[in-house]
Amino acid sequence: MTEDTDRLNVPRATVVPRRRARISVVWVIPILAAVVALGIAVQRILSEGPTITIVFKIAEGVEAGKTVIKYKDVNIGRITAVRLSDDSSKVEVTAKIDKSAAGLIVEDAKFWVVEPRVTLSGISGLGTLLSGNYIGFEVGKSTKKERKFTALEVAPIITSGMPGRQFVLKAPDLGSLGVGSPIYYRRLQAGQVIAYDLTSDGKSVDLKIFVNTPYDRYVNPGTRFWNASGLDVSIGAGGVEVRTESLVALIAGGIAFDTPPFAARPEPAAANTTWTLHRDRAIAMKQPDSISTRYVLYFNESLRGLSAGAPVTLLGLPAGEVVDVGLDFDPKTFGVRGRVEIVSYPERLIARMDAATQAAERETFARSVQARHAFLRNMVEQRGLRAQLRSGSLITGQLYVAFDYFPDAPKTKVDWSGDVAILPVVPSTITDIEAKLTGIVAKLDKLPYETIGADLTKVLAGVSVTLQDASKAVNRIDTDVTPELKTTLQAASLALGTVDGMLKNEVNTTLDELRRALATADGVLKSTDAALLGKDAPGQQELRDALHEVTRAARSLRGLTDFLERHPESLIWGKNGVKQ
Amino acid sequence: MTATALTAARAGLVSCETCALLSRPVEAAEPGHCRRCGGKLEWRRHHSIQYTWALVVAAAICYIPANVLPVLNTTTLGSTDSDTIMGGVALLYNTGSWPLALVVLIASVMVPLGKLIALSYLLVSVQRGSIRNNHDRTRLYRLVEFIGRWSMLDVFVDTFTVALIQLQPLMSVEPGAGVLFFAAVVVLTMIAAESFDPRLIWDSGAIRRFDD
Repeated sequence: MTEDTDRLNVPRATVVPRRRARISVVWVIPILAAVVALGIAVQRILSEGPTITIVFKIAEGVEAGKTVIKYKDVNIGRITAVRLSDDSSKVEVTAKIDKSAAGLIVEDAKFWVVEPRVTLSGISGLGTLLSGNYIGFEVGKSTKKERKFTALEVAPIITSGMPGRQFVLKAPDLGSLGVGSPIYYRRLQAGQVIAYDLTSDGKSVDLKIFVNTPYDRYVNPGTRFWNASGLDVSIGAGGVEVRTESLVALIAGGIAFDTPPFAARPEPAAANTTWTLHRDRAIAMKQPDSISTRYVLYFNESLRGLSAGAPVTLLGLPAGEVVDVGLDFDPKTFGVRGRVEIVSYPERLIARMDAATQAAERETFARSVQARHAFLRNMVEQRGLRAQLRSGSLITGQLYVAFDYFPDAPKTKVDWSGDVAILPVVPSTITDIEAKLTGIVAKLDKLPYETIGADLTKVLAGVSVTLQDASKAVNRIDTDVTPELKTTLQAASLALGTVDGMLKNEVNTTLDELRRALATADGVLKSTDAALLGKDAPGQQELRDALHEVTRAARSLRGLTDFLERHPESLIWGKNGVKQ
Repeated sequence: MTATALTAARAGLVSCETCALLSRPVEAAEPGHCRRCGGKLEWRRHHSIQYTWALVVAAAICYIPANVLPVLNTTTLGSTDSDTIMGGVALLYNTGSWPLALVVLIASVMVPLGKLIALSYLLVSVQRGSIRNNHDRTRLYRLVEFIGRWSMLDVFVDTFTVALIQLQPLMSVEPGAGVLFFAAVVVLTMIAAESFDPRLIWDSGAIRRFDD
């Protein structure tokens, strides 16, 4: 069987013991450890944000490893190193920024040290008292990345996220304003001054202000801004009025804005529009007078106390103002007179008319010189309109120009010859009073004081003579009247003596009679005595009898008491009982 | 001791790991159970060297983050300080308490590292079949095993500090990730020391066959 032999030649299979896996499961542990450790390392590396350098002038309170960088109060990084710059003039701070904030680190990002700040308008950064200073961060608008920054010296006031708009105010000087000065709208704080700078010509100051939303929409081209610093005290007929925006503005200064009612209200102003900063509210809110007419007045009196800006009144109400005061030479009379140039705002005359008439009238005033001249001529020639200087204040001596009707004033005409009309004037009442006073003084001066003196002396001499006469009369009385008086007195004494003698006799007889009456009374009394007290007087006898009776009664009473003492039982048993 | 010393394994006997009773195995592949205590008999611990190596490597990996990552995050009045183990040592040394710094340095840095090195040395020497310094190596193993239980000191201090210092608005302490890795290092080295069979030290290179 070739088949069998063939089978026998086939090699026999061997049993190989099953080999256990050489690698144990325990290696999972180091692999796991490695994975976790690697995972942490990778996460660390991936979360590693950019490292930036910030250059500070002074890095106050900045410490490596401790100081953090905060944006919107969230930590976005940490300072890793603080060192001096190569030239030792600045401080270079190295910071590690979180990966999540890496996108914020752009070219125009801002960094500054946040430290506690106490200003008049508020306290900020109080939290840093406990946590230490930190570095504030403000994101920029650029998209270009940057790794080296120069820090701001002071924290920016307005953060980019704050809604609102920025405007520019032009002021002649900074006044008490500064960065952070409040801006008020209807006494609500609506914004702040964020920067100021001298203009390039050096003649004014540009103030950059930021008005927060929603107040920024009340800022329009017609809005007026004024300096609200300090107190605005005005004393008027209505009493004392004190205006201030707020206590803070009073101390730290401030700006207020409002839109006057007459201003048109178009769309809110665009950002960075420029306005003028007015000195105060009254000036800011003054209605602009679009039509103004100039006139000249010549006064032949003192203009002391009249200055440019003094009001011009018509019937006591403001109608314009003085623009120029000066001396003028009059070629006709070779005299010097005061020249006052005024400007009048005819619009004010028609301000109370209804809108349509107002527009029409305004048109007439503006366009038609003829109409204006005719109106003025009528006023001056028919009604007697004249200018007069009046005293605004007796204390300060300020003058103003008043227009009033003086129908009695001599007729005159408006002088249209020059390019500015000359209006007629009347002398002021102030000078009238002065003149009258002077007249009085002059009259007093003319009085004949010497004659009056001489007359007075004469009168006095007469008086002296009269007095001497009087003295003589008195002397005469002394010598003539006194002796007579003496005799009269003696006669009177005699008369009194007679009266005395007569009276004495009468009195004596009366006394005798009285004595007799008394003796009688005595006798009566004596007899009475005898009746009552005499030995045999009946009263006496009866009294004696009565006493005898009493004695007897006493005796029998004694007998009774003796008996009772010896026989007390007799009180019960009686006398009979005692015997038994 | 000489290299020709007789071991139980070479004599065909197996000792119980629990009660140390020497018994004859049922058969070479399956030594069976101890007659006295019933414990499973093994010629040598199963995969001892491989297990130990794996654990030592894992511990060595964990040792790096344990030292790099902070073990303690202290928040004082809003500012947070993170401290690593070496940072703590440096802080203690700088503040003048150098004995404490030394204690922390030894207990937390040198001991885990020493354990790793010691175990690696034991493993390498056993794998190479070295027969030198057998006594010293056994002593070293005992030291590693003994010291293991004290290595958690750091972790305990950390957890106590975290639990005790919770003055919320003023100060608070939170454990860092480093302490987890540190604990892992300690636990892994302890298990590694446990999985190492010290009997291997006494086996020569020929005994390798028992360890597979």
